[in-house]
Amino acid sequence: MNAPDPDVILVRYGELALKGGNRVDFERQLANNIRIALESVAPAKVERHWGRMFVFPERRTEVALARLREVFGITSLSPTRRAELDVEAIGKVAEQVLDEALAERTAPGPVSFRVRATRSEKRFALTSVELDRVIGGRLKERNERLTVDLEEPDIVVGLDVRAEGAFVFARRVEGPGGLPVGTLGRALCLISGGFDSPVSAYLSMKRGLSLAYVTYHSAPFIGESARKKVVDLVRVLSRFQPRHSRLWVVPFAASQIAIRDLEVAGYRTVLYRRMMQRIASRLAEREEAQALVTGECLGQVASQTLENLTCIQAAATLPVIRPLVSFDKEETIRLARRIGTFELSAVQEPDCCTLFMPTKPVIRGRPEFCEELESRLNVEQLVEAALASAELVSIPPEG
Amino acid sequence: MTQVVYLDHAATTPLDPRVRAAMEPWLGERFGNPSSRHPFGVAAAEALDGARAGVARAFAVRAADVVFTSGATEANNLGVIGQARAGRKHGRRVLVGATEHPSVREAAEALEREGFAVETLALDADSSVDLEDLARRLAPDVVLVAQMLVSNEFGTVYPLRELARVVRARAPHARVHVDAVQAVGKIECALAELGCDSLALSAHKLHGPQGVGALVLVNSTVEALLVGGGQERGRRSGTENVAGALGLAAALRFAELERAASLAAAKAARAAIVARLSEMPGSRVLEPGRRARGIVDAILALVVRVAPAEVVMHHLERRGVYVSAGAACQSKKGAQSPSLAALGLGEDEARHVLRFSFARTTTVAEAEFAAQALVEVQRELAAVNA
Repeated sequence: MNAPDPDVILVRYGELALKGGNRVDFERQLANNIRIALESVAPAKVERHWGRMFVFPERRTEVALARLREVFGITSLSPTRRAELDVEAIGKVAEQVLDEALAERTAPGPVSFRVRATRSEKRFALTSVELDRVIGGRLKERNERLTVDLEEPDIVVGLDVRAEGAFVFARRVEGPGGLPVGTLGRALCLISGGFDSPVSAYLSMKRGLSLAYVTYHSAPFIGESARKKVVDLVRVLSRFQPRHSRLWVVPFAASQIAIRDLEVAGYRTVLYRRMMQRIASRLAEREEAQALVTGECLGQVASQTLENLTCIQAAATLPVIRPLVSFDKEETIRLARRIGTFELSAVQEPDCCTLFMPTKPVIRGRPEFCEELESRLNVEQLVEAALASAELVSIPPEG
Repeated sequence: MTQVVYLDHAATTPLDPRVRAAMEPWLGERFGNPSSRHPFGVAAAEALDGARAGVARAFAVRAADVVFTSGATEANNLGVIGQARAGRKHGRRVLVGATEHPSVREAAEALEREGFAVETLALDADSSVDLEDLARRLAPDVVLVAQMLVSNEFGTVYPLRELARVVRARAPHARVHVDAVQAVGKIECALAELGCDSLALSAHKLHGPQGVGALVLVNSTVEALLVGGGQERGRRSGTENVAGALGLAAALRFAELERAASLAAAKAARAAIVARLSEMPGSRVLEPGRRARGIVDAILALVVRVAPAEVVMHHLERRGVYVSAGAACQSKKGAQSPSLAALGLGEDEARHVLRFSFARTTTVAEAEFAAQALVEVQRELAAVNA
């Protein structure tokens, strides 16, 4: 019979963020996010210990491991085998763990290793230094390929001796880093069908923000399929946060027609965006969001000059976070591919931004002129009407 | 009324009424081409998305990793040919298991005609894949290894995870393709657990409709075999089978929910037949690898001494019991089964292997009825022989 699967996953997380009084909140949130992420694919119990966590999946340890690589706040993971608190039992499990690690190294030649024990169960007979030596010696004897290297070993066999047993591991998988979603508060992300805003959403969740979304839809000028594209993108992003992703779909054609009728074509894009910021700021109150997130980037398109960003931001009543501000398009695309939004964004679909697009948009917009133009509109009425007919789509986290 | 006992579920299963209910709206009043950009199309696309998410959940992958196909044959073709072609720049060697279904084996043979070298993996004495032979064959120019997960002949579980581990270590560009047709709904098939890159399945083995299946693939690409409208993210063109996809997803959901019950049903049915073995002189159960890696109880292979399996099968038929003589896909071709040869069965004895296959709907009473019929048929045939 094959050896049973590793039954525990050791989770390590960043130390820097743990300084100060928010440590407990941080850990509680991470444990909670882990539990929810695994709920539908590999239900697990999560135990918090000082500085690390243990995840006990009921089944599907490898699935759990793969899923946890997407949970922000985790820096690395190790599938772990548990042994009884007994030197002989620990030695046996350590042999098995090392054999598995060796099986993955088929290049000929010696392999260096070391044992690194930590011991929180102080009643255990051996100290951690003694354990290193005893178990290390036992392992080395079994395989002539092995050499000991305490400084830069190829394989580290970790032993974590605790009251509930000894945890033994050698494999180490990188986590996504970042901070647990929710620990830095909540924001509202303006999302379109393009490449940038989904990547912005991902990056802001990575830094601990939980997100709600808003998208603008210009029915009847564009169809249902444009709306579906955004829903699909939010569905892909939903796996990165534990709660349902709430997406507000706001009708925008009325605002666009009113702005078009001002007949100052060059300012259309800037005025559209100011309107979007205004509506988003109001929706943020409903969502108890403390900031807006956009996919804006410096200089990527004509509207994204410093002057225009200033015009646009002036209409927002909340801070605007722009995770992509310094990204090149290639960097954004690379990340979009990795997180799985690239293919959806690549589908050609007209969106509200292209409606009544001016041939020559203004490059250096002036906020005073924006205000002057808007004084000819009933801004408040347009905002209220849009909010009144905004539709909420709630998307559960994709497993 | 004469009793009918269908025990050939490894060939196909009856449609579950709940699965039919899930499909029915899209065979009736609801319709739409998922590629259409008006609400009819969007509604069809949303239904398809729902089905895709359901299939993804069963294998713990992302929705984008699921490619709907016309069944397991197409999924195996796409998994083998499509992935090998996509990996061509890394090499042109393909390794296939000895017991593979023709939809895998002949797909590999098709690759041979375009310059790939195809090798068949050896079997060990348990008729399982010989991992040492595999290790010797592996090198960085191997682009694909195809191995089924559960034997359609005995229910033996092949050691996919160990196989994948060996492949990863020695052939970094190789994709591991798994034909899981007989495994889905019976054992764990999450791709990460198996360590494989792609997996083929079919709905009609799970009380779903015929004509639909899927290729599930993670971090892998395929060159499409069907080109045209670019559906399924360009991996399989052709207007999607919305009702079929919903049927597959529903069939998988019930198979997972009721996995424990169907295992218990299979175990009980198997025991009911095996219990009568002493009344069938010279007959024995084939269950290679049961102790080493386990066996799926839903398949029971019996060597019957009294007459060739084909003869016994037709005699059982007359008593209302439907089984198979060897796997249906191979039985038309008359070729000797390599897995039986690996177990040391001669060509003659290999013709005496009868296969019973159970489903969650199989009752102990049905199995007992079949066992009684089998005892009687063997007595009857023995009398003829004497």
